Amino acid sequence: MFFNNLKVAWRSILKNKLFSFINVIGLSIGLCSSIVIGAIVYFDFSFDTFHKDGDRIYRVTTLFESGENEFSNRGVSVPLMKEFKNGISGVEVSAPFMSTYFSTIENKAQDLVFRNENNGILADGAYFEIFDYNWLAGDNQTALSEPAQVVLTKIKAEKYFPHKNVNEVIGQTLVYNDSVNVKVMGVVDDLKQNSDLRFTEFMSLSSAKMFGESDFTTSDAWNGTSSGDQLFFKISEGASVPNIQSRLDELAKEHKNREPWAVNDERWFRIQPFSEIHFGGKHGDYPFNNSNHVANMKVLKSLAFIALFLLLLGCANFINLNSAQALTRAKEIGIRKTLGSSKKQVVRQFFGETFILTLLATVLSLVMAPFLLRQFKDFLPSGIDLSVLYSAEGIFGILLLMLLVCLLSGFYPAFVLSKFKPVSVLKGQFSKGDKGVRLRKTLTVFQFVVAQVFVIATFLVAKQLHFLMQKDMGMKTEAVAYVNLPWNDRSQIKKERVFNQIKNIKGLSQVSWGDNPPASNNMSSTILSYYKDGNETHQEAQILTGDISYLKTYGIPLIAGRERLNDSIDEYVVNETFARAIGFQNPEEVVGTSVKLDTVKIAIVGVMKDFNQRSLRSEIRPLAVRGHYSRGFDGIHFDLGNNPERWTQIVDEVEEVLVSVYPDEELEVRFMDETVKGFYRQEKSAVQLLKWATGLAILISCLGLMGLVVYTTERRVKEIGVRKVLGANLAQLNILLCKEFLILVGVAFAIAVPISWYLVQEWIESFAYKTELSWWVFLTSGIGMAVVALLVTGARTYKTANINPIESLRNE
Amino acid sequence: MLLQLNNIFKWVTTGGQRIFLLKDINLEVEEGEFISIMGPSGSGKSTLLNVIGMLDTFDEGEYNFMDESVHSLKEKHRSNLYKQYIGFVFQSYHLLDELTVKENLEMPLIYKKIKGSERKAMVADMLDRFNIVGKKDLFPAQLSGGQQQLVGVARALISNPKLILADEPTGNLNSKQGEEIMELFKQLNREGVTIIQVTHSEKNAEYGSRIINLLDGRMV
Repeated sequence: MFFNNLKVAWRSILKNKLFSFINVIGLSIGLCSSIVIGAIVYFDFSFDTFHKDGDRIYRVTTLFESGENEFSNRGVSVPLMKEFKNGISGVEVSAPFMSTYFSTIENKAQDLVFRNENNGILADGAYFEIFDYNWLAGDNQTALSEPAQVVLTKIKAEKYFPHKNVNEVIGQTLVYNDSVNVKVMGVVDDLKQNSDLRFTEFMSLSSAKMFGESDFTTSDAWNGTSSGDQLFFKISEGASVPNIQSRLDELAKEHKNREPWAVNDERWFRIQPFSEIHFGGKHGDYPFNNSNHVANMKVLKSLAFIALFLLLLGCANFINLNSAQALTRAKEIGIRKTLGSSKKQVVRQFFGETFILTLLATVLSLVMAPFLLRQFKDFLPSGIDLSVLYSAEGIFGILLLMLLVCLLSGFYPAFVLSKFKPVSVLKGQFSKGDKGVRLRKTLTVFQFVVAQVFVIATFLVAKQLHFLMQKDMGMKTEAVAYVNLPWNDRSQIKKERVFNQIKNIKGLSQVSWGDNPPASNNMSSTILSYYKDGNETHQEAQILTGDISYLKTYGIPLIAGRERLNDSIDEYVVNETFARAIGFQNPEEVVGTSVKLDTVKIAIVGVMKDFNQRSLRSEIRPLAVRGHYSRGFDGIHFDLGNNPERWTQIVDEVEEVLVSVYPDEELEVRFMDETVKGFYRQEKSAVQLLKWATGLAILISCLGLMGLVVYTTERRVKEIGVRKVLGANLAQLNILLCKEFLILVGVAFAIAVPISWYLVQEWIESFAYKTELSWWVFLTSGIGMAVVALLVTGARTYKTANINPIESLRNE
Repeated sequence: MLLQLNNIFKWVTTGGQRIFLLKDINLEVEEGEFISIMGPSGSGKSTLLNVIGMLDTFDEGEYNFMDESVHSLKEKHRSNLYKQYIGFVFQSYHLLDELTVKENLEMPLIYKKIKGSERKAMVADMLDRFNIVGKKDLFPAQLSGGQQQLVGVARALISNPKLILADEPTGNLNSKQGEEIMELFKQLNREGVTIIQVTHSEKNAEYGSRIINLLDGRMV
């Protein structure tokens, strides 16, 4: 029976090649995007799931509230580590660790030197109690109990001790940072599964002082928080998180910052479940200092929605085409029923067909999946691949997906078709009232709503992106570049040498010192006090550091006062927003007043024109430019001049200078316009993703429409014959045939406009600067969709309208 | 007695008026009979045949088939009943286009849940009996009308029905092919199969042992 069903199903699939093709393509697009997006989502949910009792592992993070602003920091203040180590009720074990960085590591025995090793942490044995590592050599109980002991991961052990097996490595000595002799106590296997714990070198926490970190057993710096100072703990079984939270709240209150300027600031410790770390928590922080990827729940959700919609579109196609075909299949069902088939058997047969088509679509989608994934490579974290599809979970997932698709798309056609009464079918009375029409129209409208929403959203998101890129930020972004000098090489002479050599390059019109460029994602801010009418007010301000020609290099004009006298004097040039924030409507007036930073009085000597110091997501904030602190500037900024033909040449020459002075470093010349573009990477990937989704949605919908048109026109061949005999011309017939479909597209447009407007509105809310949601975007997308639909329908209706009525009216 | 129809009425209501398709039909059919139903177009021949075949319902009256009262049976039982005892032959053959001759013959057996090996034997037997062994792997479209109808009859017969209902079995055939089919029916009838056919042709009706004439849904 079963094989018989499959055989018959296969033959009827072959018989209707066009429909089967459309079905398979539609379904496979839906399946393919689901599979790819599924793999992406799975990837992000597979991080650190392998630790034993992972659901009992938590991290403490810090939340700052300052007035209305909230900031979070994934680290904690160091003394909190001691509180945890001394014991907090409900905490089974606590593992503090600190990120660190090793400038040199020497293996004297083999005469090897390694520089700038990242991914190191200072940790103690508790770290390995909480997180599951596979010990290849050494004792996990005592490995980090003394100062100057280190545990390496296999990859690091192989790097530092080439050609030695792990057991030989134990007990060897490495010299860290030129002076610290450290004994290797253990080697752990590299984590094979996805993990945010990308640490490869574990120095004992008790050696913190030797590596320039504070010792948590003695530190009292409750008001310093560094994102590298991590505190993990595992709660005892049955212990309650709120209890620990309330203890943390007590500690936060007890150790509140008592400085007068911090009177309005609050600092809270927050407990974050380990499983949330990969998703960045509420503030979207990276999991750790050395992380290069943070999963964005919102993005994952949108991705899942896109996959769902594409899948639904494929299913809608299927239902549409199959219930439309009902008429052609009716005779077969009638015969089967008179031969004794029960309704159930007919249903089974149709599910058999659906199953085969789904299977074909799945195979096709697995073939296409790698290509689709490659399209998104640019904005996906590295390490993501489709290997998960061939694991047990993956195969199970795919089977589940197939089953779902099979049911979704097979259910309606199977039950509609199986309901046919044999006698009416055999008598030929069934064609009068075609009940599926309304459903098919609804589904077509649904498809076009989805496609239309995608089209409009893509246009508007792209428009916003274009707007952001084009908008004048208030400074020069074209042909300005900068280079950050190595922060760990403090030699002032080298810096000067680079600066002077760059200055001598022909064609450069401005060269200046500074740290960050005027617009960047790393902006330091500080609280300044200002006295007005005897009252002290506090104003948060972002601080830029640069020499006296820094503003000129970036084309930021002064509108009042003067530039600072020299590069290190305590004078501020503030922006207009700052002046307004402390109560001066007229920028002229603020010149000559002064503010206080801690205890130092600093004069405001000039006002610069406002510019956007961050991406256009945020408003312009109060800002002050000052000279360098004691150790000078870390970056050189230069204007490439007015001759575009010289630019590549100049950049080459700058790079030559850098290499000659810092041969060991890889320094990069960054362009201001690239930096600005970098602000909008997320938007750019959104546009790319939307483009794909839109293309696929349009493709599926048009396939569906085509199927429907083919079916409808076939049914109306006779009617068209009669009309032609009665004198209708081609144009009239085409209009007659297309009208029905264009109305559907029109209805879909009407539904899609408010939906897409709402969605884009929600999205664009997060930007301080918004492009207009112009009516012409909606209209153009609507017209575009109508034209596409018209082309699809027109091709077929034209053919039908051209059929000679003698053919169509001949009675068999 | 194979079947009995008592005061069967069937109607449709159009514009508030009842139009009778069947009106007070009383009919008894004994096993081994060969009945021809005749009458002009629209007289209710096919409707009557469909009612007898349990493909169609009626509005009033009683229908007993082999001591089961069909009018009080549920749809499922009804279909089991006709699945077991009735074979259908149609004017336009109604073979399944995507199945070969062999598979078409097999189909009713599959629905009767007969085992594969047994099915094969029965199909082979039937192919042999109708002399169409050479055509077993062809699709209906590759056969002539007469051959298709031959397959149609073979398919109706394969599950050993007590009753064959044939709705103008020769309607789409030329006279020679038609004659062959009618001869086949006659022979089957001699072998004990009860046959009820609807026909327009006096000549074909003569093959039967009894002729029923219908006019406007009434037996005359």
